[in-house]
Amino acid sequence: MRIGVFICHCGSNIGGTVDCARVAELSRAFPDVVYADDPMYTCAEPGQAAIEAAIHEHRLDGVVVASCTPRMHEPTFRRTVERAGLNRYMFEMANIREHVSWIGKDKEANTNKAAELVLMAVEKLRRNTPLTPKSFDITKKVLIIGGGVAGIQAALDCADGGVPVVLVEREATIGGKMAKLDKTFPTVDCSACILGPKMVDVAQHPNITLYAYAEVEDISGYVGNFSVKIRKKAAYVDWSKCTGCGACTEKCPARKTPDAFNELTGPTTAINIAFPQAIPKKAVINAAHCRQLSKGKCGVCAKVCPTGAIRYDMEDEIVTEEVGSIVAATGYDLMDWTVYSEYGGGKYPDVITSLQYERLLSASGPTGGHILRPSDGREPKSVVFIQCVGSRDKSVGRPYCSGFCCMYTAKQAVLTKDHIPDSQSWVFYMDIRAPGKMYDEFTRRAVEEYGTEYIRGRVSAIYPDGKGQYVVMGVDTLLGQPVEIKADLVVLAVGIEASKGASQLAEKLRISYDQYGFFMESHVKLKPVETNTAGVFLAGVCQGAKDIPASVAQGSAAAAKVLALFARDKLESDPQIAQVDMRRCVNCGKCIRCCPFGAIKEVEMRGEGKAQVIETVCQGCGLCTATCPQGAIQLSHATDNQILAEVNALCQC
Amino acid sequence: MPVLEGKELRIVGFLCNWCSYGGADTAGVARAGQPTDLRIIRVPCSGRIDPLFIVKALLGGADGVLVSGCHPRDCHYAAGNFYARRRLEVLKQFLPVLGIDERRFEYTWVSASEGQRWQQVVTVFTERIHQLGRAPRFDDAEPLLKLADMALTSLRPLGTGQTAALDELKDAIRAKLPELDCVIGWQQGYDAAHTVPLFIRKPEDVDKLVWGPFNVNNPAVYLPSFKGKKVGIVVKGCDSRSVVELLQENLIRREDVTIFALPCEGTLDMARVNEKLGRYQRIDSVSLDEAGATIVADGTEHRFCMTEYAQGKCYGCTTPAAVLADTRLGTPTPVQPGTVVPPELALLDSMSLEERMAFWRGQMERCLRCYACRNACPMCVCRDFCISDSRNPHWMSQEDSPREKLFFQTIHAMHLAGRCTGCGECQRACPVGIPILALRQQIARAVAQLFDGYRPGLDPAAVPPLLGYEVEEKNIHERDWK
Amino acid sequence: MSVVSFAYYPGCSAKGSSADYERSTRTVCGLLDICLEELPGWNCCGSTPAHAVDTELSAALCVRNLDIAAQCGAKTVLTPCPSCLSNLRHAGRRMATPEFRARVNELLDAPAAETLPEVTSVMQGIARQYDKAALTARVKKPLTGLRLGAYYGCLMSRPADLMDFGDPENPTLMEEMLTACGAEVVDFPLKTSCCGASFGIPERPMTARNSAKILDLAVNMGLDALVVACPLCQMNLDLRQKQAAKSAGTTFDLPVPYFTQLLGLALGAPTDQLGLDKLCVSLDGLLKKAEGGQQCG
Repeated sequence: MRIGVFICHCGSNIGGTVDCARVAELSRAFPDVVYADDPMYTCAEPGQAAIEAAIHEHRLDGVVVASCTPRMHEPTFRRTVERAGLNRYMFEMANIREHVSWIGKDKEANTNKAAELVLMAVEKLRRNTPLTPKSFDITKKVLIIGGGVAGIQAALDCADGGVPVVLVEREATIGGKMAKLDKTFPTVDCSACILGPKMVDVAQHPNITLYAYAEVEDISGYVGNFSVKIRKKAAYVDWSKCTGCGACTEKCPARKTPDAFNELTGPTTAINIAFPQAIPKKAVINAAHCRQLSKGKCGVCAKVCPTGAIRYDMEDEIVTEEVGSIVAATGYDLMDWTVYSEYGGGKYPDVITSLQYERLLSASGPTGGHILRPSDGREPKSVVFIQCVGSRDKSVGRPYCSGFCCMYTAKQAVLTKDHIPDSQSWVFYMDIRAPGKMYDEFTRRAVEEYGTEYIRGRVSAIYPDGKGQYVVMGVDTLLGQPVEIKADLVVLAVGIEASKGASQLAEKLRISYDQYGFFMESHVKLKPVETNTAGVFLAGVCQGAKDIPASVAQGSAAAAKVLALFARDKLESDPQIAQVDMRRCVNCGKCIRCCPFGAIKEVEMRGEGKAQVIETVCQGCGLCTATCPQGAIQLSHATDNQILAEVNALCQC
Repeated sequence: MPVLEGKELRIVGFLCNWCSYGGADTAGVARAGQPTDLRIIRVPCSGRIDPLFIVKALLGGADGVLVSGCHPRDCHYAAGNFYARRRLEVLKQFLPVLGIDERRFEYTWVSASEGQRWQQVVTVFTERIHQLGRAPRFDDAEPLLKLADMALTSLRPLGTGQTAALDELKDAIRAKLPELDCVIGWQQGYDAAHTVPLFIRKPEDVDKLVWGPFNVNNPAVYLPSFKGKKVGIVVKGCDSRSVVELLQENLIRREDVTIFALPCEGTLDMARVNEKLGRYQRIDSVSLDEAGATIVADGTEHRFCMTEYAQGKCYGCTTPAAVLADTRLGTPTPVQPGTVVPPELALLDSMSLEERMAFWRGQMERCLRCYACRNACPMCVCRDFCISDSRNPHWMSQEDSPREKLFFQTIHAMHLAGRCTGCGECQRACPVGIPILALRQQIARAVAQLFDGYRPGLDPAAVPPLLGYEVEEKNIHERDWK
Repeated sequence: MSVVSFAYYPGCSAKGSSADYERSTRTVCGLLDICLEELPGWNCCGSTPAHAVDTELSAALCVRNLDIAAQCGAKTVLTPCPSCLSNLRHAGRRMATPEFRARVNELLDAPAAETLPEVTSVMQGIARQYDKAALTARVKKPLTGLRLGAYYGCLMSRPADLMDFGDPENPTLMEEMLTACGAEVVDFPLKTSCCGASFGIPERPMTARNSAKILDLAVNMGLDALVVACPLCQMNLDLRQKQAAKSAGTTFDLPVPYFTQLLGLALGAPTDQLGLDKLCVSLDGLLKKAEGGQQCG
């Protein structure tokens, strides 16, 4: 073999702590290496051109680039060598940036380590074989999980692009958190007015199949051909008959059912339609509170329903959908703020979350849009907002910023003044984070036009003063003195966390998630929509805190990724898959038993059973290779011989 | 390439591409400083990591090996790390029997987001390896050839099977023979103190069948080669476990096999018998009584009590009766509850790590690389495709070095992990008497401890533990990296 | 129930300003078959000043007491005062560090015992022997009709992992005991805020302000008494109640008894064995109300 080696300086990123020229020099002594160089930026156009030139000039049939992580530029360089006429798999990378130059300061040790990593790559490359991808058909249909604003946007964009969409929403209505908001910053637009039409579009779009009150049960398959089991939860109402007239909700006697849509700010009925603009506008029975379902006595809704839609014997139903791509848009939930016992830990009725406050502000909320204290229904004249309750607080395991609380707090302060002109609002904040378009201007308006008092500091305690008000004790760190405010109502800007069940869904999707349950993007800067599982994309807060415009943008971005994927009629399978050496296979079946994808089958060959890999199903994990005792099944490009060669490059006593 | 003398030690890492390699990248992006010793080999999944890569590295001079994959439940390939967890844990418990400090190998889980955790893992592990210092090299070990006396206690009375219902068994075989292509058993060999396999094809062959303490071979080894034929087999209790294991792995079909069983009272350890007999011209006579055998060789009488000269495996045997049989004659002597550490393993247990390495160094110098051990093993199903003879994959060089020979023993032991019934044929077949069964016994002990007392060859329907997993492993726990 | 016995460390204030706490503690423990064996030759734990000046000297003071207890064969030392509790526990914990232990041992006449006894408060000690039901079973004169608030002060529950009172912002042990005695116990929001502590002398206005805030809330909540467990809190809220009232421009008349005094009343102890005469704001009104409650009940 004739191998060329390129040791990238990456400016000073690698060159600063690795003697790249020395590594190139050492590389020239490695087996089969006929050419070595140390370009400044290998991934830049001149760097790639130099590789192509060297391939021609030195008749190279394999290339090693030592630079950044292969997770970054392996595809780039594969294309480079392909342009020069090599098979794209006759290429290996040594990661001397993330794994060497960025983590060690000792130049001698780094240089030696880099050279060894290059040697390992060379030894592996010497055992590479050209591979050719196979193409396979794809199902041009997308599953979108989560019907909040990000999922809605992704669904509409995909559907407009001609792709059939399956939208799965856990709640009885789409709309997500945005549907609960009264107004949006910085324009103070009515949230329902701008989201409502989009929700209606979802309901009416011929390309969208909506499964509301449903959850993803199981996902199998791979990019292009996923099979998804969806659990349609029993609503106890036949939605094909329900017209959403609301007769049942008027007559339902179970009037103390907790109202999840209203964030528990008021009661509702056991049979219920979440809110007037719900999509789909269908009734759902809360089984735990329904008298018929829990005690077997009532049946009022069945009597009053004009279409006979009530089905007390309804059970969950599993439907299966075949899709080619999946967008996760599962959003967020508020963290459990009751860990803050200094704020009463939930004991005080007038210490509420910002989302509850939205429901009090909303005309469709329990108070009809009048701000009234939960405890006594009185209009509050003094309202204290506390930011960062469960954000940027290591003591409760939430060190990250929830991103949008600064802005909605300013909005809520403004709205408070609008609703109750003789009221006064105070905001305890740590820093005001208002980097969006027109955002800082908006917070200034809250202060300057609406007279909101911003106090930089944390609140140490809230307690009722025994006379109907609450004492908010805090500190003003700018003045350096403690402050006490008598408040009628305290609103906590509670930090966000990944939506409940996010990590379980990630496991079904086989995507990574961070320690807080937010889904991991493929690259934090360059692939913020992709995941490490091909064909699975992210939209909205499930990937990390972001506000409505950013969620909408990411929803559209995810749709663009889906449309790009479906622009092809066939996909190419990664040829780095397992292959069976039929002569060595004794048909012991261990590989078939272990394969997580059912990608190995038994076939008959000259009267003997043999294992055979189904090329488009194999995902290339190599579990079979580690399992086969006689080494008859080998994962291409991670063969026993290649890994042994890497081990032997390091360990020869 | 050599390590930087005085600065670094040789640490090899195997990282899955999706989580841990990404975690190491994340650590790099965060400029999370780490010791420079580690060299990372990128594999798609921790499930791809054959534990033998790790042994290869450790025998080849690695001072430490670190494996990291996705957290359990987060595997990019759904379940690869669940399999890896079991295999790597078994390996960790196996290493000490080779004389390798198990602290030199560690495995853990790091996700792509956990740069800080990766930094912590690398730092802690590298510190640990530096504390342990340069690993003792197998090639440098001073050969140790001592063999301590084995302590022999038995869970049941051992005997010579004098009262076994051999005649009834012969009748049963005769009756069944017309339906069978062959029945495998034992016949007297070149003298009365040895037996060889008997393949009964004609009714008159049945008379050659013998039963007694010289029936040391495991006839199950021949079963897979009769695949597709109707075959009968006479088994001792231990042999029956091999049959069960072959059934479990679909290497033979139940409907093709007819099992005849007599209760076993123990067999002789021919290596020690021959040692005591010394060089002799001929066996004059062999007489058996309840307690043992008396052999007269070249006119000298030698007495072999079963309690003293049984095979090591017989002392801890709990299955003197076949675990599976079609025709079962006679009742076995009852077995006391309890466990006995097999004498070969007890010998290794009594040694320090250094002594064990020196012991194997010495023993492997004697190994002829004849592969009699492999050929006698009923579970060695690769047959002509053993990876020891192969260039692709090329696990072993053809060099006649003690290290390569020990590596072969490790390959065999690891391939048999969770499958080896402990029949001991490998050790019995060894012409130079190396106690290689101890390696398999150590793995069997680890497997039993990790997987709720699992013993191979008892249940044809069981899933071998290393070909399965539990999402929550009861006996495998993630280690603390603080 | 058989008699259990604990080593007992009263602390300095027990012999002076909080003699009533001491008296009632002994009476209550006697009634509950808890035998208190006062450590022979104990010394001051160092109180607030010592550890602020020198941790090792302060620890040496405490360790000497713990060592005496260890020599007596005690496994557990009970103390009524949260400040003593904090100091003794801190010192005991720090002794786990070999270097620290060595330096403290140098300050002592003889090296301290390897294993020092654990320290716990009288409140936790009683709770360990009597759960709510067991305590109720011992009640002879229930405090029916009394509306009480429990005030722990800032020290009793903090630091959380050292003091072991559960949620440091919301300890509930005293409430449980008083409820067991038949009283109506309302959740007192300022139960763990600071009364001014030892600043009663150097920073009198600040202490008065802090105490006034606590008293004011208690009065607003309509409490019959604010029950305490700390000698210093009791002093600031009771002895200095007039100062606090003056600073807030109001008047207070709120009894501030120790929880042991109320426990004693409920257990049927004679009033003269509970040191009630030492309280500045008299309990008389409260006692009448309790009796009234009993009659009604």
